[in-house]
Amino acid sequence: MANVSGTVYGLTILSPIVDDPNAQISHDCAIRQYLANLPNGHTSPFAQVSSTHMCRLVVMDDVIYVGTPAREEHLSSRYLVFESNFDGDLEPYLMRMATEIPDVMDSVWGHCVGYPGVRDVNAFVAYMKKCQLNTTFYFADVNNHTVQSTLRALKVQASVADFIAKHQGQSPSELQAAFRAFYERVRNIPDEEPGHHDPQGHQSIKLNRSIAAQHG
Amino acid sequence: MKPWKTPILRVFFFALGHIKPLQARLVGLSFIHFARWVIVKRHAFPRLAETQPPENISCDYLLFFSNFNGTWNQYIDAFADVLADGLNLVWRWSEKFPLSRPVTAFKRYISLVQFDTDYYYTAYPRATTNDVKAAHRVCAALEGFGRQCNQMSPAEFSAAYLQFLMSVQKDLGSTGVGPVGT
Repeated sequence: MANVSGTVYGLTILSPIVDDPNAQISHDCAIRQYLANLPNGHTSPFAQVSSTHMCRLVVMDDVIYVGTPAREEHLSSRYLVFESNFDGDLEPYLMRMATEIPDVMDSVWGHCVGYPGVRDVNAFVAYMKKCQLNTTFYFADVNNHTVQSTLRALKVQASVADFIAKHQGQSPSELQAAFRAFYERVRNIPDEEPGHHDPQGHQSIKLNRSIAAQHG
Repeated sequence: MKPWKTPILRVFFFALGHIKPLQARLVGLSFIHFARWVIVKRHAFPRLAETQPPENISCDYLLFFSNFNGTWNQYIDAFADVLADGLNLVWRWSEKFPLSRPVTAFKRYISLVQFDTDYYYTAYPRATTNDVKAAHRVCAALEGFGRQCNQMSPAEFSAAYLQFLMSVQKDLGSTGVGPVGT
């Protein structure tokens, strides 16, 4: 199925936005205003739907006229585009969105035509599926690791770099004892919050002497 | 895209999906986490209520979404440099596509047809695609080494530790905000 690559699902939603000439703030503007103030990083609502690798929301005002010989044409509605890359199957993911970030869903999709709200989860899932477009070709470079396993791997990578830098020049027995303790610690490393990975990044190892000279 | 061209593009994507060597350059670029192409037929825009006016357009549309690390310019330069033929095969069916080289006209075309994102979220904002791959390699190497090291004498451990360092050293680079070169 083109929507899936490995264990990752690529969801594309196109929801028509309500066009109400009597609204004080047009619905597309209201969505943009809301999204502009939505927190990001580990406080993003999408971090709560923790199987989300990456996602985006776009208000599509119209199709674009590229000039002759193309014909100038316009959409009758504006559309909200939601693109998400997540672990697992579609229905559980949509249900998680409905149950874990209901306010966000209502605040964004509440401006869309036919949106039933999240109170009836089955109606919500059915609505999102009606808005879904099938992916024609989907590419995921890393498609066999979940968000959690990737966050853990990044944390382990930084810890290993840190351990190596701090234990240069130790005797083999000291090093072995330190490594055993380190390995146990790493095995029990707690899960990282999505969107919060290593906010400052980590530095590569600064060697103060040749490791090979010490251990070779 | 004129609707008669859409089936041709679908055939190309079908081949791309089923003949893995065709994806080798895309994989080799290694700065795209996730990318997708979505063909929207002119009558396939979702219509959710009778009150919503039906779309009356003559073209099909090709949507492209990319989640990459680096800057816009770096991305398009590399894409056009490495994948020029592939890009041309995908977009040559779209109206007024100027081909991917020279890159100036290509960038002008992209600027014209792209939509700005209103909200973007990533679960690992400081990690590039290569960082993610490297981190998983370090994890796997640590698991393998960690399981064996309890049975070793200090001298054996020292030699095995050195081997471990050599196997992971290329995967311990910094993460964080990347340098901007353009």
